[in-house]
Formats: sequence, structure tokens, C-alpha cells
Amino acid sequence: MLSIALIGFAGFAALCLAMEKHFNELLKHKPRPAQLHALRVGGWLLLILSLVLSVHWRGWAHGLVEWAALLMAGVTLWVFGLPYMPRALLGLAAASLVLGPLLAVVAG
Amino acid sequence: MKRSAASLPLSYRLAVVSRSLAALLGGYLLASLVSVCLALLLPLPQVDATLTGLMLSFVFYLLAFIWCFACRSALRAWLGVLLPSLVLGLIGGFAHWMKNP
Amino acid sequence: MKEGFRQAMAWLHTWTGLIFGWLLFAIFLTGTLSYFKEEVSHWAQPEIRRHTLDPVTSLGLAQRYLERNAAHSDSWMIRLPSERDAALNVGWRDPEGGRRGFVRKDLDAQSGQPVDARDSRGGEFFYRFHFELQMPYPWGRWLSTLCAFIMLLGLVTGIITHKKIFKEFFTFRPGKGQRSWLDGHNAIGVLVLPFHLMISYSSLVLFMYMVMPASIMASYGNTNGYFNDLFGRDEAPKAAHVATPLVPLASLHAKVQALVPGARVGLIQVQSAGDRNARVIFTQSSADNVPYKRSANWTFDGATGELLKQGAPESAALMTSFSFAGLHMGNYAGPWLRWLYFAFGLAGTAVIGTGLVMWLGKRQLKHARSERLPGELRLVEVLNIASMSGLVLAVAGFFWANRLLPVALHGRADWEVNTFFLVWLASLLHAVLRPGRRAWGEQLAMGALAFALLPLLNALSTGQGLNVSVPAGDWAMAGFDLTALACGLFLAWAASKMLRPPKPVAKRAAKAAKVSAKMVEVQ
Repeated sequence: MLSIALIGFAGFAALCLAMEKHFNELLKHKPRPAQLHALRVGGWLLLILSLVLSVHWRGWAHGLVEWAALLMAGVTLWVFGLPYMPRALLGLAAASLVLGPLLAVVAG
Repeated sequence: MKRSAASLPLSYRLAVVSRSLAALLGGYLLASLVSVCLALLLPLPQVDATLTGLMLSFVFYLLAFIWCFACRSALRAWLGVLLPSLVLGLIGGFAHWMKNP
Repeated sequence: MKEGFRQAMAWLHTWTGLIFGWLLFAIFLTGTLSYFKEEVSHWAQPEIRRHTLDPVTSLGLAQRYLERNAAHSDSWMIRLPSERDAALNVGWRDPEGGRRGFVRKDLDAQSGQPVDARDSRGGEFFYRFHFELQMPYPWGRWLSTLCAFIMLLGLVTGIITHKKIFKEFFTFRPGKGQRSWLDGHNAIGVLVLPFHLMISYSSLVLFMYMVMPASIMASYGNTNGYFNDLFGRDEAPKAAHVATPLVPLASLHAKVQALVPGARVGLIQVQSAGDRNARVIFTQSSADNVPYKRSANWTFDGATGELLKQGAPESAALMTSFSFAGLHMGNYAGPWLRWLYFAFGLAGTAVIGTGLVMWLGKRQLKHARSERLPGELRLVEVLNIASMSGLVLAVAGFFWANRLLPVALHGRADWEVNTFFLVWLASLLHAVLRPGRRAWGEQLAMGALAFALLPLLNALSTGQGLNVSVPAGDWAMAGFDLTALACGLFLAWAASKMLRPPKPVAKRAAKAAKVSAKMVEVQ
């Protein structure tokens, strides 16, 4: 389930960065439209991937519920943490992008 | 609210009370009648139709509540809940009579 | 009302939020505590010892106890201990005794002897309170269900009003006064929205049979037919008055295990024990599945041990409504998910709390220069303080009473509850007598002390403090103490913010004017 949480977290981070205002604030330079688009697509794909994995491993009932819970927790952490520790969260998102799928492959 | 509480006219306050009653009581009536019609008319086993009626009733209560405060006057609020209730009451009554002759 | 749709919804959101907010805060806070009600009960009754789970032995002990003490009763029930609930609980119908004609006893799961634990309602108090509101049946349930509907209304009107729900999805800007409160309120509402919607809607589903009976009446004429269809109950056969020993329940447990390997058994009911027509019903633990499953019920002949029937499979409508119930109750949740339930419950509580604070805060700014608030705003201020920091103090008071009241005191369980309400009332009086900000600060500070000292109080009064519970691996006991400490720290931080002198009025009013101007532009 940790991998679900990490992949979901990375997904939300990507969707956040896909918004010009946040991209600017967090990465300190103006984004190109292509980058924003890629982040948006990537973000959604990561969210869907986390859902698919969760249902695959835990069935529809537990899978859906746990996926929703983990994603809500992750995005809340992101939004409330961002004003206080943006770099740490960006780092965590990057690490999640790598660790999440890795853990999924190892566990699954 | 731009004006202070003290300066709100009585007609405004009465309208608010009226809409609130329409929402609380009229909305409840409407929601109940929706659930009755669903329970009697859905082509499902009795318990399933009843369950569906029960679960969906709150959606209609919510919609009625929103209507009562979104529409242009307190009168419209009451009409908006009572007229559909009348129609649903007739349909439900007919369905009940058909089931229990 | 002649303004646009969005503004009408904003008006509705604000006013229903205010009127029901105080009660909703209490419902949400006590409901959130209820997710750990077994752990709270464990802390409140430390005399009940935990043992390694052994359902077969426990069943045997329960059966023996009931055969010796409840042979006259035609209806027994047994709840086996679980990972979260250490007690072996037995009960029987006895019109003479007990609450509402039902006697319940906690037995030690290893010895089968009644546990000599201090009389306390523990976590069950908060659980019952959050839907019964300490009101006589059925009024509390009606009121709490109305509140649930208003919560749902608040969520929907909030969504409609929040024009920038997508644009500001990731936005939280602290340190900007009213703007930050609004950001926080919106963020906690939107980011955890699936939970808030689920909790509110499922509350309605849980009592829908009571509050919306029209469809049941129209299709069945009475509730009995409905419930029989719903749960697939058959009439229990009357006693034949032919004495026949009850089969060992452990053998029936084995049969259930054969049918569903690894199933945890939640409830066992025995009707007409010791009679030829005895019936035994095994119900699978709610911890095993998200929705309640009527198909996870097995009825056995109590005299022969033969499996008579299994509950009928569920239809889609049944699965839906039982899923709502199951999601609300969260019995299926393991440790990490349970903590998330707790966190999301606190989030819901915070949505309501921040809303109440903002309602007043916005209007207070207009009166920043005058000496005193006008009457109606002062009323809101007092109610805000009493319903939030006052409630938190009352919760602490309950736990302090649990440890300080003599164990042998008659009716001590009721006195713990009385303490809760007395402290709550005292906080109301305090809020009336003290100026707003100071009242907040003082109550939060008292709450901080009360919670932070709970672990110490526990250690001194029961000897099961953190120094004992952590090495012993009693994580329910330790978890309670640690959470109390964390609460204390949070309340201390909040108190410090309120006890600091506020920024000078002129600056605040000027800042507020700037923020309001910006808000108007932005919209």
C-alpha cells in the first residue's frame, strides 16, 4: 500500500506543478506549455495507475477505499506542507516517483 | 449582507422564514413522496425498491432545499415543492391502490 | 435572494453553517473519537486484561458461563474478543434486570470469570453521544440526522459557492489573517471531500428507516416486514419445552471456519438454549468486510448442530446501503486506515470549526474600533468558545474523572458522564465571564494541561503508564497516552496564539480592508 500512496502523491504533485502559478512559485522559472501539458498528463496517469494497482491487489471494495484514503492523505500533506517546506515536498515527490513504481514491482 | 441586521425589513425576514419552512417541511414532503413512488414503481424486488427509494430521497430533499433558496420568491419556493409533491402524491397513491386493490 | 444563484447558496451555506455548526462540531469530534472507542474503553477499563486470541476456548467459556447463569433466558448473545476489544462479552435477555431488559457482562477471555473492572462507559459514551446527543430516544437520533443533512447541504452549497474550486485546489496561504482561514477551510473541505460526503450521506443512510419511513409504510405497511426482508430473518421457532443440551458452540465455530477459512466471528446469538428447538446464529465480524453481509450469517440447529441456512446473497441495492453503513462505521479498517479515518474525522471537525471562527471573524472586523461586540455577535462568540475549546475540555474532564473517581463508587460511570457535562457547562460560564480572546486562550491552555498530564495521571493511578505499556507492547494503552500528549501540545500551540496580544486594531483593520479589496477584485 505504501507504493500506492507514493505513486498517488507523485501524481498530485505533478498535477499541482501542471498549474502555471504553482510551477512558477515552486520551480522558480516560467514553464513552457508543453511542460505543463506533460505534467498534467503524467499526473493523471500516475493517479490512474495507483487506482489500478490498488484494485488489482486489494479487490474493488478495499482497493477503492484504501486508494481514496491514501490519496486524500497525500494531497492534504502536500497542500498544507507546501508553504512551509516546498523543497522537502518536491524532493519527496521526486523520490515517490521512483520509489513508488519500484516498490510496486517488488511487492507485486 | 450589506445592511446591518437591525435594518433588515420585516418582509425580508418573513420571506426567509417562509423559504425555510418550504425547504424543511415542503422538501421533506417532496423527498418522502419521491421515495414512495420509487418504492412502488421500480421494477425490483420489494425490499430493493424500498431501499433505493430510501437512499435516493435525500438527494431530492437536498435539491428541494437548494431550490427554495435559489428561486426568485418565497411563493415560487412553495410552488416548487408543493406542485411536484401533488403530482407525485397522485402517482404514488395510484400505484399503491394498484398494488392493494 | 434576488442576487445570483451562487450568492444565494453562499448565504444558505453561511447561515445553516452557523446555526448547526456548534452541534455539528460536537458530533464530528465525538464521532471521530469513536473510531478508537475500543482503545478508549481499554484505557478507561485497564482492569480488563488482553490475552492471545483463542476463539474456541473463549466460546467454550462463554457457553459455560451462560449455561450456569442465564439458563432461564431464551435469548443469549456472545461477542468474542478481537484484536481491538479484549473482553469476552456475553449478554442475555432478562426482563427483570439490566438496561432495557438486557444484561451484559464482560468476562476474562482466559478464565471465563466476570471481570472486575471499574464501571465506565469508556469509548462507548462518545460513540453513543455522537448520534444520540444524550437526548431521550428517539429525539437525539432525529436531531443528529437533521444535522447530518445540514452537513451535506453545507458541503454542496460550499462546492457551489467555491468558484475557484479547481484553480485554488492546491492553494493554502498561511499568515494572511482571514484569507488564510478561508484557504484552510476550503482546502480541508475540498481535499478531503470524498470522506466528508461519504460520512454525511452514510449518516443519513444509517437512520433512513427512521427519518424517511414513508416508502416503508407505503410498500410494507410496517417496519417488521421490511426488516425481515432486509436481513432475511425467519421467525425463530418457539421453544418446544423438551430439554436438549446445546451442542458445543466450538463445534459450530469449526463448521463456519470450514465454510469461510479465516473468518473472524463477530456475534453469536443463541435462541432457546437447552431446548430441542434451539437456534444458534453465527455472524461474521464486521472487521472482515467493508459492507455488512447478510450472507455472512449462518443459522444452526442448536440441538443437532446441523447448518440450517445461510443468509441470502445480497442484491445491488443491499450492497449499496450496507456499504454506506460499513464505510461510515469503519469496522473493517486496519490500524493505518483507522488512523486515517481519525485524521479525516478531525479534518471534518476542522471544516466546521474554521467556518464558525470565520463567520464571527469577518463580522468582528467591522466592530474592531468599538468597545464591545453587539449582543448577537457576542452570543456567537460565547457559543463558539464553549462549543469548541469547551468541548475539548469536557472530553479531558471525562478522562480525568475516569482516573480520579473511586473505583468502588456506585454509579461512577454516570458520574464520569456528569463530569463531562459539568465541565462543558463551566466552560460556557467561563466564556460568558471572560473577554473573547482571553477566554479562548485560557480554555485552550487548560485543555493543553489537562491532556498533557493525562499520561502522568494514568501512570500514577493505575501503574500502566507509558513506562509499562510501551515495553509490554500494549499499543492501545500507550497510543491513548501518546495521543493525549500530542493533543496537549497542539492545544498549547493554539493557546499561545490566542494569549499573545493581537496585532494593533488600526493595522488589522487596514490589513483587512486591503484583503477584502483584493478579494473583491479577484472575484
